[in-house]
Amino acid sequence: MADLVFWIIAAVTIMSAAFVVLNNQLIYSAVALLFTLFGVAGLYVFLWADFIAGIQILVYVGGILVLVIFGIMLTNKIKSVRISHKSMQQGVGGVVTFWFFIFLFIALTKAPWAFSDAVEPVGTVREIGVLLLTDFLLPFEIISLLLLGALIGAAVLSRGES
Amino acid sequence: MTNLQSLEFFIPELILTITILAALITDLFVKKSKTNMIGWVLGVGLVVVGLSVHNLSSAPPTTLFLDMIVIDPFSSFMKIVIILSTLLVIVASWVNDELEKYRKGEYFTIMGIMVMGLFLMTSSVDIIMLYISIEVVSIMSFVLAAYLKLDTRSNEAGLKYVIYGAFSSGVMLFGLSIVYGLAGSTNYFAIQDTLSSLDGSANPALIMALLMIFAGFGYKISSVPFHFWTPDVYEGSPSTITAYLSVAPKAAGFAMIIRFFHQVFSDSIGLTSNSIGSTDLPWPEIIGVLAVVTMTMGNLVAIQQKSIKRMLAYSSIAHAGYMMLALPVLSMEAVESIMIYLFIYVFMNLGAFFIVIFVKNKTGGESFEDFEGLGWKMPIVGAFMTLFMLSLTGLPPTAGFVGKLYIFKTLVGAGSEFLWLVIAGGVNSVISLYYYFHVVKVMFLGGKRSDVITYPPSTMFGLMIFTAVPSLILGLYWNPLASWVKDSLVFYNQVM
Repeated sequence: MADLVFWIIAAVTIMSAAFVVLNNQLIYSAVALLFTLFGVAGLYVFLWADFIAGIQILVYVGGILVLVIFGIMLTNKIKSVRISHKSMQQGVGGVVTFWFFIFLFIALTKAPWAFSDAVEPVGTVREIGVLLLTDFLLPFEIISLLLLGALIGAAVLSRGES
Repeated sequence: MTNLQSLEFFIPELILTITILAALITDLFVKKSKTNMIGWVLGVGLVVVGLSVHNLSSAPPTTLFLDMIVIDPFSSFMKIVIILSTLLVIVASWVNDELEKYRKGEYFTIMGIMVMGLFLMTSSVDIIMLYISIEVVSIMSFVLAAYLKLDTRSNEAGLKYVIYGAFSSGVMLFGLSIVYGLAGSTNYFAIQDTLSSLDGSANPALIMALLMIFAGFGYKISSVPFHFWTPDVYEGSPSTITAYLSVAPKAAGFAMIIRFFHQVFSDSIGLTSNSIGSTDLPWPEIIGVLAVVTMTMGNLVAIQQKSIKRMLAYSSIAHAGYMMLALPVLSMEAVESIMIYLFIYVFMNLGAFFIVIFVKNKTGGESFEDFEGLGWKMPIVGAFMTLFMLSLTGLPPTAGFVGKLYIFKTLVGAGSEFLWLVIAGGVNSVISLYYYFHVVKVMFLGGKRSDVITYPPSTMFGLMIFTAVPSLILGLYWNPLASWVKDSLVFYNQVM
């Protein structure tokens, strides 16, 4: 049963991601992205990362995607905007991507992955919290600096210039 | 070392953080016309940071924050290079007329945050820390590149930078995730330990991972084929930021590459091995080919440019190629030559950009026509520019010659299999002679002669002196630099 659910989620993720890329109407792409992000949250659940899955839905689906859709809706005359630049060099790109995929597929199926035989955790929130304030304290703090910089940058770039 | 114990060795970064906050708060109380003052705040802070980096450079190498970053003489050297270039760019930003229309408070604050990212890039020994530091630098550069909001070229530069940056980050993360999947750890030393015990079945995955990781690193140092963003971003950004992007992130990028490839993928402690782990991939040859292509592409396209700023952008791609020449030789001498080249490159490249800024302030343009007759109208500026061009070409008795000398010496000393790199480097230096001297020709032979001689304003003049003196002196007497670099050639290594 779990296997079946996994394959369904994987299929939904990949197909909606393909739709995001292939469709040339922005609003359709944005809506398709919704399913991709939900699918990724589902994959997280299969990795026992329940907390990350919740955050994924809250931040990406609830926050970023809504922002994207607002952005599209509030832009003037968005309905008439078509993505004007068609992909160029499709032949060459296709060949390169195809071989890249083949190599990657072989590499990833043959690789001796470092599997851990961990038991299913009861809850991950506690462990993530502890790790953030012990082993990964520095990255955690630096991210706050990054966010400060991003905030300043966003304010600078969106401020009207007199 | 535990988190609390690490604080003692993290003082430079802590001072930097305080400086950033001080700059941000000072900006609230300053009128738009006085925002140069924030540059003073950041500049003074950086000098203190530099002193404390110097203080710590003699401390025994160790890891900090539970193996997140290291502190060793190598990272201290790179940090000082970064501080020097940042200070020069701050001063240049005071006199850059392009920025006059805008508040500069946030500009300097963001530059401070970028320095923090660059510091961490030079010292990370953990994949997560590495990625976050790269992102700090990238996101701050996006904002700085787009800072001239009323100029569409600057907007274009920012947007292109974001798109390329996001793509290369994504590819690099994919590569890093494969490495994590193979090693089961994010720490460099643990990864090295696991990878050296893997058998051949991991090779295909490792090769793919390496290539993808190099996409991210190559983007930072603008190596071919990840260089496409460089000319447009360099052309559209404020000239001071172009100058900054062409030196500081490149220095940090090389530090990051050296640390990553030499510590993760060398099969022994230290840089004595000539192969990377157990992979059969001809890694030195691949990097060598990339280096040669990078130089040649940079030089050949630089010849065709009409704008000097854009020409310098391509020339900086070529210079990344010269430094990459030494990467295939995994030895201490190779790292030494890259460090010497980087230090010299900071001065000569910044100097050339400062003159472009000065000319743009005067004439409003940065094409070859704007340089016509410069040697007659402003002989001092013309002479300085000639010196920088000579140095960038690598002719004696300038510092650029010493930089190239060290790179070629390393290659020759490493054996006959690296001889083709020497030849390619030599041919490229000759090609670069053509376009660098085109600038000199335009300055002295083009345009009308003028009897009125003008002198640059004092700040600009000071900047030119400060970049020109090392570009000349280090070509005649480079012993102090060489011995400093030798002392800094100590990496932290951990035996698992």
